[in-house]
Amino acid sequence: MPSVSRLRLSYRRTEFTGPGLLNAYDEDITSSAGFDAEDGERRVIILNGTQPVKYCNNRITTAKYNIISFLPSFLFEQFRRYSNCFFLLIALLQQIPDVSPTGRYTTLVPLMFILSVSAIKEIIEDVKRHRADNEINHRPIERLENGTWSTVRWSELTVGDIIKVTINTFFPADLIILSSSEPQAMCFIETANLDGETNLKIRQGVTATAGLLETKDLTMLQGRIECELPNRHLYEFNGVLREYGKQSVPLGNDQVLQRGAMLRNTAWVFAVVVYSGQETKLMKNSTSAPLKRSTVDKLTNTQILMLFMILISLCITSGLCNLFWTREHSETDWYLGLSDFKSMSLGYNLLTFFILYNNLIPISLQVTLELVRFLQAIFINYDIEMYYEPSDTPAMARTSNLNEELGMVKYIFSDKTGTLTQNVMAFKKCSIAGHVYIPQRTPEESLLVQNILRRHETAEVIEEFLVLLSVCHTVIPERGDEGIIYHAASPDERALVEGAHFFGYVFDTRTPEYVEINALGQRRRYQVLNVLEFTSARKRMSLIVRTPEGKIKLFCKGADSVIYERLSAHDLQYRDRTLQHLEEFASEGLRTLCLAVADIQPDVYEEWRNTYHKAATALQYRERKLEDAADLIEINLRLLGATAIEDRLQDGVPETIAALLDAGIFIWVLTGDKQETAINIGYSCKLISHAMDIIILNEESLDATRDVILRHFGEFKSSTANDTNVALVIDGTTLKYALSCDLRGDFQELCLLCRVVICCRVSPMQKAEVVEMVTQSTKAVTLAIGDGANDVAMIQKANVGIGISGVEGLQAACASDYSIAQFRFLQRLLLVHGAWNYARISKLILYSFYKNVCLYVIELWFALYSGWSGQILFERWTIGLYNVLFTAMPPFAMGLFEKFCTAETMLKYPMLYKPSQNAKFFNVKVFWIWIFNALLHSVFLFWLPMAAYTSDTIWKDGKTNDYLMMGNMVYTYVIVTVCLKAGLITNSWTWLTHVAIWGSIVIWFVFVVIYSHCFPFVNLGSNFPGMDIMLLSTPVFYLGLVLVPITTLLIDVICKLIHNTVFKTLTEAVRETEIRRNDLAEVMNEPRSSFTETARLLRNVFTRRANTRVETELELSHGYAFSQEEGGVVPQSIIIRSYDTNLPKPEGN
Amino acid sequence: MSMRQGEGEANVAPKSKRPSDSAFKQQRLPAWQPVLTARTVLPTFFVIGVLFIPIGVVLLHLSNTANELVIDYTRCKSSDPGNAGITCADYLQANTGKQCNCNINFNLTSDFRGDVYMYYGLTNYYQNHRRYVKSRDDMQLLGQLSQTPSTDCAPFAYNPENQLPIAPCGAIANSLFNDTLKLTQGGVNINLLNTGIAWPSDKRVKFHNPEGSLSQALKGFSKPIFWQQGLDELDPQNPENNGFQNEDLIVWMRTAALPSFRKLYRRLDQTNNNYAKGLMAGEYTLNVEYRYPVVSFDGTKRMILSTTSVLGGKNPFLGIAYIVVGAICITLGLGLLLIHMRCSRSSNMEMINVNPHTQYS
Repeated sequence: MPSVSRLRLSYRRTEFTGPGLLNAYDEDITSSAGFDAEDGERRVIILNGTQPVKYCNNRITTAKYNIISFLPSFLFEQFRRYSNCFFLLIALLQQIPDVSPTGRYTTLVPLMFILSVSAIKEIIEDVKRHRADNEINHRPIERLENGTWSTVRWSELTVGDIIKVTINTFFPADLIILSSSEPQAMCFIETANLDGETNLKIRQGVTATAGLLETKDLTMLQGRIECELPNRHLYEFNGVLREYGKQSVPLGNDQVLQRGAMLRNTAWVFAVVVYSGQETKLMKNSTSAPLKRSTVDKLTNTQILMLFMILISLCITSGLCNLFWTREHSETDWYLGLSDFKSMSLGYNLLTFFILYNNLIPISLQVTLELVRFLQAIFINYDIEMYYEPSDTPAMARTSNLNEELGMVKYIFSDKTGTLTQNVMAFKKCSIAGHVYIPQRTPEESLLVQNILRRHETAEVIEEFLVLLSVCHTVIPERGDEGIIYHAASPDERALVEGAHFFGYVFDTRTPEYVEINALGQRRRYQVLNVLEFTSARKRMSLIVRTPEGKIKLFCKGADSVIYERLSAHDLQYRDRTLQHLEEFASEGLRTLCLAVADIQPDVYEEWRNTYHKAATALQYRERKLEDAADLIEINLRLLGATAIEDRLQDGVPETIAALLDAGIFIWVLTGDKQETAINIGYSCKLISHAMDIIILNEESLDATRDVILRHFGEFKSSTANDTNVALVIDGTTLKYALSCDLRGDFQELCLLCRVVICCRVSPMQKAEVVEMVTQSTKAVTLAIGDGANDVAMIQKANVGIGISGVEGLQAACASDYSIAQFRFLQRLLLVHGAWNYARISKLILYSFYKNVCLYVIELWFALYSGWSGQILFERWTIGLYNVLFTAMPPFAMGLFEKFCTAETMLKYPMLYKPSQNAKFFNVKVFWIWIFNALLHSVFLFWLPMAAYTSDTIWKDGKTNDYLMMGNMVYTYVIVTVCLKAGLITNSWTWLTHVAIWGSIVIWFVFVVIYSHCFPFVNLGSNFPGMDIMLLSTPVFYLGLVLVPITTLLIDVICKLIHNTVFKTLTEAVRETEIRRNDLAEVMNEPRSSFTETARLLRNVFTRRANTRVETELELSHGYAFSQEEGGVVPQSIIIRSYDTNLPKPEGN
Repeated sequence: MSMRQGEGEANVAPKSKRPSDSAFKQQRLPAWQPVLTARTVLPTFFVIGVLFIPIGVVLLHLSNTANELVIDYTRCKSSDPGNAGITCADYLQANTGKQCNCNINFNLTSDFRGDVYMYYGLTNYYQNHRRYVKSRDDMQLLGQLSQTPSTDCAPFAYNPENQLPIAPCGAIANSLFNDTLKLTQGGVNINLLNTGIAWPSDKRVKFHNPEGSLSQALKGFSKPIFWQQGLDELDPQNPENNGFQNEDLIVWMRTAALPSFRKLYRRLDQTNNNYAKGLMAGEYTLNVEYRYPVVSFDGTKRMILSTTSVLGGKNPFLGIAYIVVGAICITLGLGLLLIHMRCSRSSNMEMINVNPHTQYS
C-alpha cells in the first residue's frame, strides 16, 4: 500500500493547490512511510479507551455573537463606521453647556434609536445563524458505545469516537476509515463539494483494520493512532496506527474521510474521528467572509467625505462671520449682553456651527439603508419565482448590503459542475453502424431492439455494441430491492452501463475472473483477461475478454481521435457516417465516446500477454512500458459506433445565459473539470456557438504561453475592432503562466476582448485569482457563482458571491452573499431584484441627502439674518425628529416599493439592465445635481415665506408673531415639498407609498397640535404653546402652503418633462409603453435579427484562425469527454479484480 | 399522553419553505404609475396659471385694503423745555436712563376704517440672536420664582450691585421696549387699549403671576437692570395685566424672526363714539415718552398705525407671487407645448421600435 499512497500524494502535489493551500504548495511532505515527529507535536488517539487529553468537541459555530459578547462586539462594529462615530461626537459636543444651538439630547436620542434598530436587526440575523448551526450540530450519527451503536448528535462527537457512516450522508468530522461494506475496506466518496471534481474518489482503509466488519470486532480493537496536529492542508495527512502487539501501519491521505465529503455507493463505513469541529481541515480552511461593500456604498462614503469638507468650510465661514459680527456689535448692542461672554472665542463658535450644520450628513441614512436592504433581502427570500420546489429551497440573501450591487454586475464567473450542470449523466443517443438510435420509453419500442429481434443487417454490430457497453467498464453492480444499482467512480461509465441495461443488456454480476450479462434474457459470461486502463493521455480504455464462444476479443472505448487512428485499414464501412453523427452530437453539446472492437487470435494474444506481463513487472518506466504494450494490441480495430451522453444541464441554463449576455454581462466559466468537458458544456448551454472563433491556450511553458498570447493579441489588434465574438479557452497550467507578472497585463487585455472565457482544470485558488484580476483591472462589478467548497475562494473574492443551495453541499452557500437553488434564478436575481434594488437604493440615498441639505442649509440662510449667532429657525425637537419621524417613511417607500417596470418586462428586455449596470442612476454627477437641486429648493423654501412674512402681521386681529412661527411655516413647507419631491421621483405608487408620503405630512400636523399642548406639563417646547391655533388660523399659511411647494417643484417638473419629451431613455419608453397598453406582445414580436451570426459564419469560412492544436480542434467538434479518477488509491484493474458480487456484503452490525 | 405526542409529531411533519404567494410578498401590489408627459402635465400648467392669476389679483387687492402709516421717530426733536433743539436720541445718549419727550404731528391722508392697531417697529435689532433668544427663564415666567434663576439668563440673572436674583431675568426681559406712545387729536387723548395684544395662549398658559400679592412675592428679587420701574408697576391699574401677565412684556417675549420687526403695541378703543369706525383722515399728534436707546447700534424706532385685512397687515408679496407664478406657468405651458409638438413624433417612433434587442441609448 505505501507505494500507491506515495504515488498519489505526489500526483496531488503537482496538480493541485486546494483552497487556502498556497502555503502548502511548496512545503515538504514528510515521508508517509512512518510518522516520527517529536512528542508534543502530534496527536495521540487511544482506540476504545479514554483519551490522554481532552479534545475539542465536534460543535461548529458560524454565528457572530453570543449573549455575553453581543454588546461589546456590536458596539465595536457600529462605531467602526465613520458616520456613527461622527454622530456620537456630535452628541458628546452637545453636552458642553452653552455650545449647542439645539439642546443636549437632540442627536443622542435619534442615535440611540438608530442603534437599537440596528441591534434588533443584528439579533434577528444572528439568531438565524445560531439556528443553522444548530441544525448541523444536531444531525444524528451512530457512535459505538460499550459495544452497541447509539445515535448521538454531530456536536457530541469527539476525537477517538468510532462511528458508522451510512450511504449518501456527509462525514461529520475528519475520519480515518477502518472498514467498509465494500471489499478491502474500499469506499467511494464524492468530493465535488470540496474540489469540484465530478468523478467519485476511492478511499481505502489499511488492511490491518479492513477485516473489522462486525461490531464485536470493533470493540476488540486495541491500540492508538498517532497523527499530526490539526492543520489546514487538505490533501495531506500523516499518521500511524499502532495496534498493541502488532506492527504499526502508516496512515496517509487515502485513509482520510474529510468533513464536507459524502459517502457514495458504499453502504456503510466504520471510521475513527481524528479531527473534530473547528479542527477539521474544512473548518481550518474556512476563512471568515470578508466584509464586502457595494460600489454604491463606497461612492456614498466619498461623497459623505466631500460633504463633511463642505460642512467644515461652512463652519469656519460662519464662525469667522460670527467673530466679525460680534466684534462689531458686542459694544453697541447693549440688549444682547455680549460684552462679558466667551462668545468671542472662535473655538466655541466653530463647535456651535458644527452642531448646527451636522445634519447635512443624514443621520438616518445608515440605518434607513440598513433596514431597507434587510427588507429588500426578505423580498428576495420571499420571491416565489426563485423557489425551487423539488428541493424545497427558496432563495436566500445572506448579506443584505449588496442588494444594489446585483444590479451592476458586468462579469459573471460561473463554476460548471453543479452550477451549470446537474452532475447527472444520461445516455442520450448512440450511433451504431451508421444509424442513430434514441432510447424510447420502453426497450421494446426502440428501433434498436426491434432491429436486433428482426435480425436487421446490422444486428450483429448492434449486439456487439451493447455487449461492449455492458462489459467494458469498471462499474460494480449491486442487487437491491428495486433492481440493480450500479456503483461507479465515473459517472459516464454508469450512464453507459445503464444505457445498455435499458436496451436489455443487463450487467449484473462481477467476480474477479469474469463478468456476467443478461443479454435479452440470455446469460453470457465474459472472462476478463486484461484491463488496459483509462488515462487522460491514452483517452481510451480497453478490456480483453474471452467470449462465451471462446474467442478472444478486445473491447475499446475512447476518444474518436484515438480510436480512428487505430482502426483497421479495411474497416471503412461506417467511418464517415459515424464521424458525421459525432459532429451532430457534439453540436448539441453531448459528450461522445467511440466504441470499437478487435478480434485477437489466440497466438497473438499469448505473445502479447508475455510482453504485457514484462511491462507490468518492470522496475523502471513501468507506466510508459505499459502504455507501449497496450498500443501493440489496440490495433486493427473495427468501429462499432459512438455513444452520446448528456451531461444534463440545470433547467433553463441556455435561456438564462442568453438573457444575461443580452444584458451586456460577460460570462466566464471557471471549472476544475477537463477541457473537453468544459467546452462541451460551453456548447450545450449556448455560451459558445459554432459561429464563434475559439482560441485555445494549452501551453506547457512560460515562453510558449507568452508567444501564443502575444500572437493572438496581435491578431485581435489587426482584425476589425468591436467585433469580438471570440471564445477563449485556457487550462490551469497555462493560466499559471499567463497570470505570472510579466504576462498578466497582456493576458488580461486579451481576455477582456473576448466575449466568453472558459478556464478549465483550474484550482480553487486560481479561480479566485482570475476573479481578482478582473475585479481589479476593470473596476467593474464581478459576480461569482458556484456550488462547491472549491468555489468558496472565488465567491469570497468577487464583488458578489452566489452559492447554489439545496444540493447537499452547503459550503459555497454558506460563504456566499446570496444563495439560490438553480442557476436560472440568477436571471431574476440580477435582472429583476438587482436592477430594482439598484434603482431603489440610488433614489433612497440621493433623496436622503437631498432632504437633509434642503432643510439644514436653511439654517445657513437664517444665519445671514441672525447675526451668525447659530440660532436655529426651528424648534429643537421638531428638527431633531425630522429624520426619524417626519421624513423617515418616504425613503422606505422608495427603497421597498419603487419599480419602474414590472418583473415580467425586466425579464423580457434584458437591456433594461444596462442603465444600472453602467451606474447611470447614482454617480458623482447625479449626486451633485441633487445637492444643487436641494440648495435651490432651500433658497425658495426660505425666502418665499420670509417675503410673505415681513409685515409681521399675518392675522386679522393684528397680532404679531415670532421667529418660531416663521420657522414652523418654513418647516411645514419643507416637509410638504420634500414629501412631494419623493412623490415626483416615485414611479410606482402602491398604497404604502401613499401612506408614506401623505402620512408624513399628516404626522407633522398632528405633531404640531400635540406638541403645542405639552408645555408646561412637560418641560419641552416652551415656545410652542398656542402654535397650532395661531399657525392654522392664518390664511397666509394656507396660501403659502399652495404657493411655496408648487413654485419650488416647478423647476423639477419642467426638467423632468423636458427630459421625458426630448431625451427619453429606453427605460422610460418601455415603462410608458407598458403603462399605456398592458399588452407588450406587439412590441416584442419583432423578428430577431440573425445578421451578425450569418456574417460571423461567412467570415469563419474565409479566415479560419490557425489554431494551436489540430487534435484538440477535432475533439472539440466531436465532443469527446469522459471523466474518470486517475492515479487514485486503487487502480481500475484492481477494482475490477476485487469485487465478487455473488458474495453477500457484510452488514456492518 | 403518548398519543398526543404522536399527533404532535405528525403535525410538525416537514414544513414547506415555499414562500406564500401574496401580492405584497411578491412585490405585485397594485400601483398607480403616473407618467409625466407633456400630455398629462401641460393641462395642469394651464390650470395652475388660470387659477393663480385671479387669486393673486384678489390677494393684491386685499393687501391694498389694509392702510398703513409709518412714522420713524428715532431722531425726533425733544419737546422738553430744558433741552429744546436737540434730538431725544442725543439727549438719551448723554443721560442714560432718563426720559425725553417729543411730539410729532402727522396727517392721516385716508380713513383708517375698521380695527386700527398701533405697532412699534425696530430695525437692526437682533432679537433673533442665539444668546438673546435663549436668555429667559420659563419657570419664572410661569410664576414659579426661584432664588436661582436659570443659567440661561446670564449675564442678566443677578443684579451685580446687590447680588439679588432678577425677576424676570434674562436679556429679553431686560431689554423690554419702554417708550410710551400716545396719540392725540387736537390736544385730546385718543384712548388706546393695552390688552388683547398678546397671543391668548401665551397669556393663558405661559405667563402667570405668583400666588398672592405680587409685590410680596417679588421681595428678595431685583428688577431687571435696564428697567426704570418694577415688575409690579407695569400696569398698576389692571392687576390682570400686571407683573408677568403684562401683555407688553408677553408680546416682547415672543422674539422676532428678523432684525427688522414690529410688535403690536396698542389697539384703538372703538367704544368711544368718535373712533367707532376707526381713525378718520385728519391731523394727529404722536406723543412719545422716549426712553429706549437704539442709535448706538444704528437702529431705528417707528410707530406704525395699521388696519388689517384677512391677510393681516399690508404686504403685497403674496399677491405678486401668485400672479408671477401663474404667468410663468402659462408661459412655460406654451413653450412646452411647442417642444412637445416638435418632439412627440420622434418619441412616438422610438416607443414603437422598442424590442428586446434595441440598443440601449
